[in-house]
Amino acid sequence: MDEMTTDVDLAVRVEGLSRRYGPVRALDDVEMGMGRGITGLLGPNGAGKTTLLSILATINQPDAGRVSVFGLDPADTAQRVEIRRRLGFLPQELGFHRHFTVAGFLDYVAILKEIVDRRRRAEEVARVLAAVGLQGMAGRRIRALSGGMRQRLGIAQALLGDPDLLLLDEPTAGLDPEQQLRFRELLSNLPGDPTIVLSTHQVDDVSAICSHVVVLLAGKVRFTGTPAELADTAAGHVWTSHQRDPHALLSWRGGDNRWRHLGERPPAGVEVTAATVDEGYLLLSHTVDNPSTTRGWRRVGRRDR
Amino acid sequence: MTTPFPDQVASADGPGGHLGGEVLAAYATNRLDEVAAWSVEAHVTTCSACRVALRAFVDRDRLARNRSVLLAAAAVGEPGPARRLLSRVGVPEHLLGLLAATPSLRRSWLLSVLGVLAVVAGESVLANHLWNRGSGSTWGVLVPFLLVGPLLVLGGVALAFLPLFDPSHQLAAAAPFPGVNLLLARAVSALLAALLPVAVAAFFVPGPGWLPAAMLLPCLAVWCVALAAVTVVGATAAAVVSAATWVLPVIVVAASHPALAVVRWHAQVAWAALAAAAAVVAFVRRDRFEMGWTR
Repeated sequence: MDEMTTDVDLAVRVEGLSRRYGPVRALDDVEMGMGRGITGLLGPNGAGKTTLLSILATINQPDAGRVSVFGLDPADTAQRVEIRRRLGFLPQELGFHRHFTVAGFLDYVAILKEIVDRRRRAEEVARVLAAVGLQGMAGRRIRALSGGMRQRLGIAQALLGDPDLLLLDEPTAGLDPEQQLRFRELLSNLPGDPTIVLSTHQVDDVSAICSHVVVLLAGKVRFTGTPAELADTAAGHVWTSHQRDPHALLSWRGGDNRWRHLGERPPAGVEVTAATVDEGYLLLSHTVDNPSTTRGWRRVGRRDR
Repeated sequence: MTTPFPDQVASADGPGGHLGGEVLAAYATNRLDEVAAWSVEAHVTTCSACRVALRAFVDRDRLARNRSVLLAAAAVGEPGPARRLLSRVGVPEHLLGLLAATPSLRRSWLLSVLGVLAVVAGESVLANHLWNRGSGSTWGVLVPFLLVGPLLVLGGVALAFLPLFDPSHQLAAAAPFPGVNLLLARAVSALLAALLPVAVAAFFVPGPGWLPAAMLLPCLAVWCVALAAVTVVGATAAAVVSAATWVLPVIVVAASHPALAVVRWHAQVAWAALAAAAAVVAFVRRDRFEMGWTR
């Protein structure tokens, strides 16, 4: 967590946010703040990540609580439009008009983003295509694109208009390892230092590029802090040995043929080792799923940053 | 240089009648005025030495960017005759682009037009059959047509907004382009597409010649009620309310009066009033034409 970041710097602030779908409580009294840089929103499927992003993207409305984006209130019509002018959004399940060409689709989204000048739209389309490495595909029909290319096209449309806030819901789903690395490079080199919220259940993405991480489990924020702090939550709970440990929550054999264990309490005499972000996240998830464990809830860092 | 170049270019001639480095550099960085640039282009077209010399001044990144822009513009495509015509009469280019680039509308148009034609053709056959058998009230055979005509038009509009037909609807919802503008533009398009075949096909249905024209105002009223209702309740409830606005009067009137009373002139006044009132409500609450927000 950046100690210099103050409330004034927060691009996104969420207070007491709740949202229900029938009997299901998708978000439950969520509080968080997001500043410049990349924030990873980590959680399993059904944790409420997509609901939270759709509220931040102003296409969904909370049952209770407040949201502020760049100091603007999405509940106010005029301010909501202003938020949208500064927003780039990649939904989790972005559908495409399959007979569109790649450039035609981006041109359509550019119009929706109020880029009315035809020449400027063409420039923007060319710019974002180059950013995601699809510049040679401008005239290709979307139905002829592979899944990975479609995902890159989805990212490209979110970049139209140089948004100040980029909301990306599972952006690396469907990308091969090379494309994932290129995606990380792309996010790291975006001009203007936008605020980026990256919703994912892939811990690798968070470890690699996020300066902050928020863990959302069952509609509640269970952790806010840096990836290193998330790893620290499992400090003292990871150990290695030469055999499986039946008392561990999880045990797996590494490439060096040693067993690595994650659990509540390492037995005496074993080699306790440094935890990774994955292990911090896993332990946190287990603690939430099993609140009767002695460890109980663990929250590291301030609620806001 | 043999051609009469403008002063700006001629004064910077290089040796041997070729363009000087300063002129080429100015051209390559887009610092020449339009006439001088044309002159340079006319010269380099026929002078290979100057073409070679020009390469040294070209910003390759800028060239690549411009090429990408041109390719992107070409991939989007040039507007067709209808779009050019509408553009000439003042319809904004970007709005036309939005409509032309909305395949959901193409599908809705097709569905609504085909649906309308199928129903009207079926009714025509049925009406002729009943007419020839001389059964019951002559105008009574038109009740099914009366019932479904405006609703099919409404259905065409509604189809344009179903996520089923607009797979990227979330992008439109999160975009700053006014939702009401998008809705109206699409609705008008769908209406135009559906009303024309209704009006044409209606002439083949037994009944008075004014019937197609008389159907237009109820269509408009039902559409306006749908627009107004969707600002108050959800889309499904709005569709039910607007459908009921038409179906109930048709059934009630058909039970006690000649079926066509529901579209005769005194009824037209009521439909006009309803359309106007609903239009006012829709306009006043136009900021509610959005997904997910409190009505």
